[in-house]
Parts: sequence; C-alpha cells; structure tokens
Amino acid sequence: MNHKIILLFFMTTIWIHGGAQVKYTLSGLIKEAESGEALIGANVFILEQNIGTNTNNYGFYSITVPASDSLTVSYSYLGHEPVVVRIPFDKNNSINLEMKQMVSALDEVVVTADQNDDNVSRAQMGSIEIPIAKIKELPTILGEQDVLKIIQLLPGVQAGNEGTTGFYVRGGNADQNLVQLDEAVVYNPNHLFGLFSAFNTRAINNVNLIKGGFPAQYGGRLSSILDISMKEGNVKRFGAEGGIGLISTQLTLEGPIKKEEASFIISGRRTYFDWMIKPFLSKSVKTNYAFYDFNAKVNWKIGENDHVYFSAFKGNDDALYSQDGIEYNILFGNQTGTLRWNHVFGPRLFLNTSIISNQYLQDISALQDNAFSSVISEIKDISGKMEFQFYPSPDHQIKFGGHYFDHRFRSAGEAKVGSGSNQGTDLVTDSIPVKNMSEAALYINDDIRLNENVSANLGLRIPAFLSSSVNYIRIEPRLAVKVQLSNNSSLKGSYTLMNQFLHLIPSTTASVPTDIWIPSTQHTKPQESQQYSLGWYKNFNNNQIETNVEAYYKTMKNQVLFKEGNQLVRSLDVDNLLVYGKGWSYGAEFFVKKKTGRLTGWVAYTLSWTNQQFKYLNYGKQFPFRYDRRHDLSLVGTYDLNERWSLSATFVFSSGNTYTVPVGRTQVNHGGSLFEGNYFIYQARNNARLNPYHRLNFSATYKKQRKIFKKPYDSEWVVSFYNMYSRKNPYFIYFQVDPRTDKPTAKQVSLLPIIPSISYNFKF
Amino acid sequence: MKYKFKICALSLLLLLGACQKDIGFGNIDTTYDPQVFIEGILIPGETAKIFISNSLSFFHEKVSPQEIFARGAIVELVSENISEKLQPDSTFDKFRCRWTPFYKGQEIIEYNKTYSLKIDLAGKSYQASTTIDQPKISIDRVEYVENFYDVYGGHDGVIVYLKDQANLANFYRFQMDRIIDNSRKHAHVLDVVTNDCTQEGEQYLVSDLGRTVFSDGPLDGKELKMFIEVSFEYLEGDTATIYMQSLDAQSAAFFQDLDNQLQSILNPFVEPVFLHSTIENAFGVFGSAVRSEPVLFVYPQDNP
Repeated sequence: MNHKIILLFFMTTIWIHGGAQVKYTLSGLIKEAESGEALIGANVFILEQNIGTNTNNYGFYSITVPASDSLTVSYSYLGHEPVVVRIPFDKNNSINLEMKQMVSALDEVVVTADQNDDNVSRAQMGSIEIPIAKIKELPTILGEQDVLKIIQLLPGVQAGNEGTTGFYVRGGNADQNLVQLDEAVVYNPNHLFGLFSAFNTRAINNVNLIKGGFPAQYGGRLSSILDISMKEGNVKRFGAEGGIGLISTQLTLEGPIKKEEASFIISGRRTYFDWMIKPFLSKSVKTNYAFYDFNAKVNWKIGENDHVYFSAFKGNDDALYSQDGIEYNILFGNQTGTLRWNHVFGPRLFLNTSIISNQYLQDISALQDNAFSSVISEIKDISGKMEFQFYPSPDHQIKFGGHYFDHRFRSAGEAKVGSGSNQGTDLVTDSIPVKNMSEAALYINDDIRLNENVSANLGLRIPAFLSSSVNYIRIEPRLAVKVQLSNNSSLKGSYTLMNQFLHLIPSTTASVPTDIWIPSTQHTKPQESQQYSLGWYKNFNNNQIETNVEAYYKTMKNQVLFKEGNQLVRSLDVDNLLVYGKGWSYGAEFFVKKKTGRLTGWVAYTLSWTNQQFKYLNYGKQFPFRYDRRHDLSLVGTYDLNERWSLSATFVFSSGNTYTVPVGRTQVNHGGSLFEGNYFIYQARNNARLNPYHRLNFSATYKKQRKIFKKPYDSEWVVSFYNMYSRKNPYFIYFQVDPRTDKPTAKQVSLLPIIPSISYNFKF
Repeated sequence: MKYKFKICALSLLLLLGACQKDIGFGNIDTTYDPQVFIEGILIPGETAKIFISNSLSFFHEKVSPQEIFARGAIVELVSENISEKLQPDSTFDKFRCRWTPFYKGQEIIEYNKTYSLKIDLAGKSYQASTTIDQPKISIDRVEYVENFYDVYGGHDGVIVYLKDQANLANFYRFQMDRIIDNSRKHAHVLDVVTNDCTQEGEQYLVSDLGRTVFSDGPLDGKELKMFIEVSFEYLEGDTATIYMQSLDAQSAAFFQDLDNQLQSILNPFVEPVFLHSTIENAFGVFGSAVRSEPVLFVYPQDNP
C-alpha cells in the first residue's frame, strides 16, 4: 500500500505540465498598508483563468500561467479592502502590494470580486486559520486574551480541565500537539498551571491549526500543528500598544529601524497576581506567584530578494508557597530564538532557512517537615530547517526541504530526609548528565491541480530518530484529494501517517507543569498514528459564510500511561513505570462560520468517540479516553452595536469527562493496622461520566479615540464575565469512606464560578 | 510526589474560589454483583485463619465485618500431611470494639509445605494454593526515628535493619505487637474511632501490620534499612515486639495493590488502582508469611 502511494507521488511530481505553450510568472509580496506586516494566506486569484494561490508565511506568492495580453488579478484578505488590478502579461511580472484595512466593519461588505474561497478550493483539509483580530474581540478570563482558549472553541478540539489551556485534538493526548512560535517548539505553552497561555496576543500576527491532512512539511506530533507567527514590527511608523488588566499589564512597542526596510517589535507582559493576593494571606504564609513573557523580533530587508528575521521569546513562571514548615518552589519556562533568512531565487523559487534554539526548564522543589525533594527537567534543542518552495506552474506548488533537531535532555530528582535536608539541594542543572539525541526529517510535498475539478496534495516525509541506544527511521506518506463539486462546494479526503518520538508523561490526571517529556527508547517506542478523513465544504453568500462537515477515523499506536496508581517518581528512569497501549478515535465535525457583517462568529459541533486499550490496565479491556466527550458544541459571536460598542459571547457545551467509579467495596481488618480499611472494587476504568459542562462567557467593549499631548490614540475598555451564570461545572469527583461509620460519600469539586474582570487597552 | 498535586490543588482551590459539595449517587450506576473476598495468609507455627466476606455495592450505607462475613462456607485446607475443614470463629477487636469473624483451622501450619484452599459458598467453588518456602529473615537491629518522610508524608516510627538473602526476590512486611490500653490512641485516620468497650487501664493486644511491602529489588543481598510508620501512639518506655514477615510474591503483589490503592484514594489526581486477585472468580489473596525471630523494642521517647 505504502509503496503504491510513494510511486504515485513520484510519478505525479515528475509529471509537470510542460507543453509548448509560453508561460510567465506573476510573483510578489503582499503586506498590510498600515504596518508593512506580511499578510499570511492572502488570496491571489486570476479571474480569466479561474486559478489562484495564497501567500506563504512571509507574504510571498507566485503563480505561473500562460502568457496573454493582460490578466485581471484579484487580491483579497479578510478584513482588508480587496484589490483588483489589470496587468499586461507578456513577461514575468512582479507585483508587491499593500492592502488597506477596512475602514468600518459595520458596513455589510459587498465584494463582487472576492474569490477567497480558500477553504473550498484548497486540497488541504482539517486546517483552520484564526485571525488575530478575532482573538482580541472574544471574552477573556481575568482580562487575559488567549490564543489557546480560542483554539479550544474549534471543531475537533476539546478543552482539558476547567479553565486550562490544554487542548486535545481528535482524541489525541495533549502531547500530540506541536505548538510552535516562529518555527520554534514551545514545550509548555502555559502560565499559571495552564490557566493562561504563554502567548501574548499583541505580539502575534497569525495562528493556524492543522488537525488532519497534514502537509509533509509538518511532522513530529500525531494530532495537530499549532503554527503561531509573531508580528514583524511596523516598518512605517512607531507605535505603542498596551493593556492593563486585573492580574497583569502588558506593553508592546514597534517601529522602523530603517523606514520601509527594517523594523522591530518588543512586547512584554507581567502579572501582579502576587501583589494582589498578599493582603488576603496570613502572616505565616509566604506566597509569590508571578509569570512574565517577553517577545522581540527584528526584520531586515537586505535587498530585493533577501529578508532576515530574528525573533526571541522568553516566558517564565515562578511560584513560592511557604507555611508552617512547608515550602514549595516551582519554576518553569520556555525560551526560544529563531533566525530566518528568506531568499527569492526568482519568481518561481523561494527559500526559507532557519536556525532555531529553544529551551524548556522546570525546577520544582518541596520542603515538607524535615524532608526535601526536588525534580529538574530540561530540554535544549538546536535545530535547523531549510525549505524550498517551487512554483513551476499553476498546477504545482512544490515544497521540499529538511529539518534537523539536536535534543539535549536533562532530568533528575533528589530526595533527602532528616537533619540538613532543609539546607536545600545539591542538585543543580549543570551537574545532571545530558542525554543527547537527534531528530531529522526530509520531505517533499506537491500541491497539484490535476484538472479543473480535481486537485491533490501529495507528500512524503522521512523522519528519523537517532540516539546512542536506538535508532528509528520511518516513512510517512501524506495524501489529500479535493473534488470540486460546484463553484462554492467541494469534497475532500485525506490520509496521513505521523510519528512522534517524544512523549509527555503526565504525573497526574490534571495537566500540570510537572509533566515530563521523555524521548523514545528501546522500550518506549515512537507513537504512530494513521488518520483518514473525509470532508464536505460549502460556502454561501459569496463566500461570506463558510461551512464544512468532516468525518475522521484515527488510530494511535504506542500510547503511554503510568501504571495504575503511579505518579511522578524520584527516579526519572520511568520506562519501567509505564504501560503501553493503543487508541482510536472517530467522529464528525460540523462548522459554520460567518466572516463579515455586524455579527460574526462561528458554530462548531463535534460528535466523537475515543477509546484506548492497554494490556496492563483495566484488565486488558478497552476503555474510553478521559476526554472522550460524545458532544462538544461551541458558539462564538461578536456583534458590533455601533462605532464604539461591541458585544462578544462564547457558549460551550460538552459531555462530561469520563472518570472511574468504584462499584463495590470490601473491608480489610487488622486491629487498627495502617492498611485496615475499606478498599474499592473497580470493574472498568472510566466507567462513568461527570455531569455535562457548559459555560457562557460575555464581554462588552467600548472603543474611543482620545488624545494625549494633542496626539490621538485608540482606547478601549473591556468588561468581561467568565462563566456568566456561575455554573458549578464538575472538575472531578472523589470518593471516601468514613473510617468510623464505614459510610461512603462522593464529593464533587468545582473550580471557577463567575469571574468578572475589566481591562483597559490603548494603541498609539 | 504528593507535593505536586498538593500545590496544584492548593493554588487552584484557594486562589480561584473552588467549591466542593457532597453529591448523591442518583446519577451513578450502582448495580453490582457482589463478589467473595478472601484473605488467607498462612503463618508457619500457627493455625490457619481465613477471612471470607461478601463485598458489597460501594454505595451500601454500612459495612461491618459481621455484616459482610460469608456465613455457611465450607472451607477446606489440604496439604500432604493434613486435610481439615476450617470452622467459623471470631475474635473481639478491643480497639475497634467489634467482632471480627473468620474461618479457623486446628492444625499447625508447617514451613516448606504446599497448601491448597477450597471454598464452597452459595453454590460456587473457589480454589487457590500456596507453597511456604520463602526464607526466614533475621532482624539485625531496630532504631527509633522521630521524623522521616515517605509517600504518605512525614512521620515518626522505627527503622528496621536486616541483611537480605541474596539471589532471591524477597518481600518484607513489618509486624509490631503491643499491649496497650485506650489511652494510646490511633495515630492516623482511625483516631476518630470511639473506644467505649474497654475500661481505663484495661490492656489488650494489638498487632500492627505495616502497609508498605518492601522488596529487595536492586539491593538484593545487601543490608536493608526500612523506615516504618507505626499505627498507635506511645510514651517513653512503652515496649513492643517486632517481627519482619517474609511474604510470598503473590501476597506481596496483593498487599502492594492495597497500598497503591490507598494512595490513589487519598489523591484525586491519580488514576484509581484496581485490585488484582490471586484467586480465580474472587477477590483477595491466599499466600503465606514467614516470621522472623522477635526483637524487643523500647520507645526511647513519647510520640512527638
């Protein structure tokens, strides 16, 4: 089967239309007029030939078509005024374009030339782009806008525990999502135990989630790719943007270093949560919880064909809790640096080369009574990527390249008991031996238009994992096919095979920063998934309303869980504490999105089943995944009342998480021995469900242009309510038996009631 | 490690206004077909004592040893030398102030023998066997420890030193026999038990079995140092007789399951631990424990 796919791939890749007809290439860069930021995914459409393309992550586009006297080219991008130009086309042509933002979103936009039907016309499926403007409009928790919380509102994506940013895509675990910021992997994209994401929305340009039909340039995770691009900085004028919320404040500065050629952006956020709770704590309690993140980026256009970018990110959480001889310290954070060079070899060939460094460190220690324990885990990666994008004809867009990752893992634990243990730890990061391993991948992907109605995305990726003890080499065919049913509807299908060489070992059933990443070993084999999906896409009202239905079936091998009852252990040689099994998930996702007008938003509904089976869990029988939720519904809407006021709301409803209920109990009696008591008899893992989860968030935004020192600036007040009707959603249920009366009880814990917040934002 | 879920729970619950409520069992499927629970640990030099009970639905309001005792069972114990029917019997637990019923044999259990257990109860039959061949260990010494830390937190207790027998997988469990009166309270969750069946100064025997099963593992053949938490309070000068039991592998696995489950019950953030039976169609264990020679221990101080 695999061989046939590979053969087909190479045949079609080599078969490039090479008729005698003279062809020329139209290429260029599309940027936003106000800031000079690259517009990612902008649509370029040639009306006469009914074909189009999109800009890449750097705003570059290229399309090669037969020569003609003239061409009518339409450029469109959501929230921006479309541009239609008529150009002579008797030679290669380069058009760099700046697109203006729409003056008012209140006017119903009638765009006769808007051909932005990308969702229907591309072979790619399972991909959703989130405009950053949309993220800023939606209700927040404690005034913090959050990319990952918006991701949770998309079809096929399930939120983790109450209030957290963890997300689970099509039955995959949280570790199966590759979260990358400017191509750098962010291993723990969370702050405050997952209540907030590590990404400051003011520094972000674009967010793209892919959950199926993965193109070959993506790999390394089974379930999704969350590709986040940072802003480049305004090349035209200086600007400042900031916000003051209940728990944090943030500031972003950007501007030209050399007008129209080089720019910078720096953005920082810091909480004052630690200062706020201080008055409410007794004197015997010392606590300090703070997180911050910092983004910076510089871009420099070196010449007509070269562009260099350097971006950096650092985010840290630092927590201390101390009371009555107990002291906990938690420090964790990510830092990344990406140096990229874009080179345009010609109108048909584009190259991006990146060198990336990233580091993730967690350092957790506890002193309790007279015992001290500490766990340190660190990952340092240096990676290099090179990707060519070749546009030989409008029927082919070929991407090929390679990735190389050098991983350095360091992890160790320590426990000391007795006198002297309170002197702290001898364990320091530099003293821990480093485990080296590498990942490499070669890939080629061709976006092919086979005929007027059929196009395909064919890809092949060959990833490898190399370490001193074991090597793994895999072959991953990727295939996506689209059949155009009408002008505004299409049918798509895809097959992908993915491998993942890293595993996140959860220390508890709640996703917390103490979870530890481990690489594959001889015992812990790479995770592997195969996914089949089928989708029907249709747009209405001149592409203003997008709809789609996707069905999928996914299998996952070499899944890892702790043996029953095990938690994170002092020795981090965890292989012998793990059990291995498989999982499978299937379901259907429904999505309706209204893109323009006073009322914008979407409805997403997912019907799904996810099960797992482990030889040494649940007596070897299959059981539902913890986040197996039959129904998952999200309603997202923003309504612009007038120039100044807008209202937003999100409503979510989902079936409750599964959990394990004891069905019986028995007594072990030994005259007061410590193991005397009631023991629970379980028949099946995850045999019950919590009550359904539902929540309404609401926000109102008041915008006004004000003046300071006679200079105008935009200001806005945002009032938000998280969990508007204060639903006591179940976080977990636990069972106890009174040791005196032997009476059982079940207790439900709920976390977040209604949380109002107010924040003030400004932009110069 | 417990501190991780503690700090998460602490931070989330305290800082974000969590709430907790008792919920009824109305929306939980409570159907359960009761199973037989058997606990039979044979000890050479003693007569057999087999606890047989009916497990009940988890949500059953009250479960006392007398209420769940499996009456009417025909219990047979067979080895190459003996074949006897065990008879119902009971002891009065003066700490819990309640009767604990069991099936008792008359014959003395012997070392290096294989025993088969057959139970007929309510038309069903249960069988298991065990061979008592694990080595008898010698305790080198016992020390008092005022403070140590394990997965259950910080405690006082004792440290038992012994030399492990090499080239065998050994499993050890602590036993401390003490004569106490009701002024010595339980040091842990059972401190809520009301002792109203004994007079002030009336003494009774308690046999405190450790909940942790120690395996030699990578320390095979080496000196083992085991920190052990004790169940009852003490005063300086109180005496105790200490043994170490050598368990067979199946029994060790079962008591390890109990220990793991106890930890999981105390921690809502970990997945529950299922009990794995060594007896087909029933829950429980049939195995053996070989006791070391006793060591007299005197508490050097009051409990902290």
